[in-house]
Order: sequence, then C-alpha cells, then structure tokens
Amino acid sequence: MRSLLNFLARYNNLIIFLILEGFSIYFLATRNSYHNTRVMFGIRGLTHSIEMKVSNMRSYMSLKHVNEALALENIALKNRIEQLVKTDNSSFISVSDSVYQQQYIHTSATVIDNSINKQKNFFTINKGREQGVAVDMAVTSGYGVSGVIVSCSENYSLAMSVLNLDFRLSARLKSNGYYGSLNWDGANYRKAVLSEIPQHVPVNVGDTVETTGYSAVFPEGIMVGTVSDFEKVGGDFYKITITLATDFKKLHFVDIIGNMKKSEQLELQNLFQ
Amino acid sequence: MINSIIRFGLIFILLILLQVLLFNNIQFSGYVNPYIYLMFIMLLPVEIPAWLLLLLSFLTGAIIDFFSGSPGMHSSATVLAGFVRPYVLNLISPRDGYEPNSDPSMIIYGFRWFLIYTIVIVLVHHTALFYLEVFRFTDFLRTFGRVILSSAFSIAFILLIEFYRKGK
Repeated sequence: MRSLLNFLARYNNLIIFLILEGFSIYFLATRNSYHNTRVMFGIRGLTHSIEMKVSNMRSYMSLKHVNEALALENIALKNRIEQLVKTDNSSFISVSDSVYQQQYIHTSATVIDNSINKQKNFFTINKGREQGVAVDMAVTSGYGVSGVIVSCSENYSLAMSVLNLDFRLSARLKSNGYYGSLNWDGANYRKAVLSEIPQHVPVNVGDTVETTGYSAVFPEGIMVGTVSDFEKVGGDFYKITITLATDFKKLHFVDIIGNMKKSEQLELQNLFQ
Repeated sequence: MINSIIRFGLIFILLILLQVLLFNNIQFSGYVNPYIYLMFIMLLPVEIPAWLLLLLSFLTGAIIDFFSGSPGMHSSATVLAGFVRPYVLNLISPRDGYEPNSDPSMIIYGFRWFLIYTIVIVLVHHTALFYLEVFRFTDFLRTFGRVILSSAFSIAFILLIEFYRKGK
C-alpha cells in the first residue's frame, strides 16, 4: 500500500497528463465522425452569437464581390427564363400543376461560419428546420456545388463542405456523359479529384464537370468545376484533377436545394438491394 | 496571489478572444493557421505546480475546441505542450537558474532565450495538433509542411505580442 502511494506521488504529473490526454483522444475519436456532427452542433449553439457578429462584419466588407456574383447569376437566370417562356408559348398545353411537376425546391441562405484550412471542413448557414431545411439537402453557390446539409437546428444548419475528406459526389463529364466519383484529397482548396473514369474516354483540359443526379441529393447538371489536369493511374482509370467552380474562401450566399421526390426514388431503389 | 490570478485571467481572456475572433479567421491557402492561444501556457509562472499547469492546458484547449468545433483536438495538443513545458524550462535554464516568483518572459530572460523557448513549445504543440487533425501518416510530408509553415507564423505573432508587452 505504502509503495503504491509512493508510486502515485512520484508519478502524479505523468498520471494527470495521461488521464487528460486520454480524455482528449477519446473526444477526438468519438465526437468527430460524420454522424456525430449532431452532438457537436449542440455545443456550437453557444458560440453562434459571436460567429454571427463576425459574419455580419465580413459580409459588409465583401458586398462588392457579392453584388457582382448576384448580377452574374441574375443574367444566367434571365437567360433561362427566356428559354422557358419560348417553349411554353410554342406548346398548346400549359401544365400549371406544380405538385406533380416540380421536383426541386430552392431556398437561399447566408453562410455565417466557414473554414477551408482543416481536413474536414464544415460551414454553418442561417436557416434551419423552421425554414424548411432538412438533412441531406444539397447546397450550391452561384458558381456551383458547395456541400450537403448534415445537421439542422431550429434556425441554423450545418453543411459538410466539398472540402471534407468524407465528402463523396457522383459527377460526370458534360461532353460525353461518363460519370465517376468526386472527392477532395485534402491538399488544395481550389482542387478536387474525379476518379473512376475509364481510360478509353476522351478527356480534355477545360472540360466541364457537372452533377449526375444519381444520388437523389443534387439535381442533374449542376456545375462542379473544370478539368485542370489528368493522369493515368493503375491499369484502367484516369485520376482527373478538377478546379472547383465554387471559391470556398468567398462563399457567402448559397442556395439550398431539396428534392421533393427523394423518398420515392430511394424507396424504389431500396426494394432491389 | 489574487493579483496574479486576475492578471493571468485577463491574459487568458484576451488571448482566447484574439485567437477566436482574429486568428481563426486567417486562412492563407489552407496551409497557414497561427495558434497564438498557446502563449497563455508559455507565460504562466515558472514555479507553477505541474498538475495546475496540465489542468489549465486542458481548459484552454477545450475552450478553443468549443469555438472551432473540433472536440479533443486542441486540448490533447495543448495538454502535451503543458506536459513538456517543465522539461523544456529545465533544459534551457539560464546559467544562474530562474529568479524566484518570475514569469518566463522576454523582459527578464532576454530575446534569445525566449525565442528558443517559443520555438520548442510551438513545434511540439503544432506537430501534435496537425497530425491529430489528419489522423493518418499517408501524406506525411504535406502535413509536415503545414506544421512548419503554421509554426513559423505562430512564432512570429507570439514574438510580436511579447515585444508589445515588453514595450508597455
């Protein structure tokens, strides 16, 4: 007993160190995975008001760039309306039943907290369950794909950024329709990697990469980025480096896209798995 | 006693605010993120009991973790820094030992001494932090690059703050 006490007294600092370090590693290992972001989000509620202030300040500073981006987006949307109006006029039947026709609903939101310098980046947006946001909705910026909602509280949501080692996206080359899997390699915040494209497919630098819509999260045909480099790896596949269309350093206004027919699609797919 | 508790309390709050509001938002190219909150662990008195130092390290790291949403990451790195601090102080002790009741500051022990002290502690902390963040050893060199670059910036900022303290 005495020698045990002696031992404890002699190494008490080492023991405290090991206990605290054990706690930390335990937290690190259990609280950081994809699904436990919900737990983390509860803690985050405390720090939101401060982040909100910082974000307000920053949004004021970047108004000029935001305006430019919005103007560009407006032009694109006007062009799109123009196309749609033409087709409507040329057809005789106009379907106005939105329940059966509309598949995706859009909501706009503002990013209030964002990071690009970690290996697993998340960003927070200022809309939540009250405003109709739900888990697994897609998030895009005016330029292209930016992330997926992983957790919602009443008025805020946490989204997993494309710049996250756990992020996977089904994407295809616009020019020929071959699809592969897109993920981030953790190195450069402007680049991502598209893999599983077979080597007989013609690929060119500058080719557009867009979403496929297979996952029922992102609608089909949303811009992801452009091919900046490609090389052959292994026997069969290309490793294609992509410049992301979204600049995550100035991510501010985002679109949240919900798929109204997602449960239907998934139900059908699950029947045969 | 009470005086120094208030003083370190103020330093603590100031450094945490600086880190959370300013330095957490510096994101050059994903390679550089300075962590200056570590300075709090460095500035505590030389004769502080080791157990208190460890507890304070854990507390500091945990608060930073709260704000950056990464439970356990900063606390484990900071606890490690707090653990090695007494050994580092021992290794680089001045010729005639430390003065009683003194802080390890630049005013008392000089620039050269403080520089070595900062470099060692910051490197230990950042190495632990960045390798814990990626949690794997593939891409060893890239993580190492992040450690070195971020350390350089952290050291520069810590020295700058220390110079400012000295000037006062």
